[in-house]
Amino acid sequence: MTTASVLVFVGGGAGAVVRELLVLALGRYSAAFPVDIFAANMLASFLLGLVFGLHQVRRTSDNVALLISTGFCGGMSTFSTFAFGAYSEMASPGEFGLSLLYVIASLVMGYGVTLLGLQTAAQFRRA
Amino acid sequence: MDANDFLLIGVGGGLGSLLRWQLGRVIDRLLGTAFKFSTLTINLSGALVIAYLSTLLAIGWEHRYGTVVTSLLLTGLLGGYTTFSTMQLDAVQTSRANGHALAVVYLVCSVGGGLLAAAAGVALARSQGVGP
Repeated sequence: MTTASVLVFVGGGAGAVVRELLVLALGRYSAAFPVDIFAANMLASFLLGLVFGLHQVRRTSDNVALLISTGFCGGMSTFSTFAFGAYSEMASPGEFGLSLLYVIASLVMGYGVTLLGLQTAAQFRRA
Repeated sequence: MDANDFLLIGVGGGLGSLLRWQLGRVIDRLLGTAFKFSTLTINLSGALVIAYLSTLLAIGWEHRYGTVVTSLLLTGLLGGYTTFSTMQLDAVQTSRANGHALAVVYLVCSVGGGLLAAAAGVALARSQGVGP
């Protein structure tokens, strides 16, 4: 494997493990609105915005960007569980409303924290 | 969750991320447009597969570890393969380069498509006579 592949593999593996540590910590509060998956997706989105932005202003190297952005943030966030979980709960009796709220909150807040990460990184632009 | 689950999730997450990275590069090369088909294709295919396999094997979406299938395949590999954060970064970049309308279309296609892909995965497994 090339260096780049190792970075993506290690970052992605670590991200997936951190996601499940969040599931362990927050899983008991989760139902039709899974706060654990929500938290993992929001944290990863902010971090991706931040590291992508820092890379754009040349404050992080290509390798760090690959490790954190493509690897860690990609591994920590998940779309498959997001979509399948939301669909399953929407199809469950009495859970449609809360599951719809989960989808909308994930979309709107996820977009917002990604933007926040990018804007935070822009503060580090060299004068 | 024991050490074995962590190992399986880590290895699965790493392999899924490699797959996402390489497949994304191929799709970007073939269809490098303002609309990010790479992330969309990856996320929709991942949603379809997780729904199909989970229904086929009667595993609920909240069952995340304890066996090789749940830890390595569903939580690790499919979790690492699909990405929520890149979808949001794609949307922000699309909005900056091509306006809000295309970004909204992209997010609606991703999430609406993701729910439809999950529904299709469940229906496909049930059509084979399995699942509830």
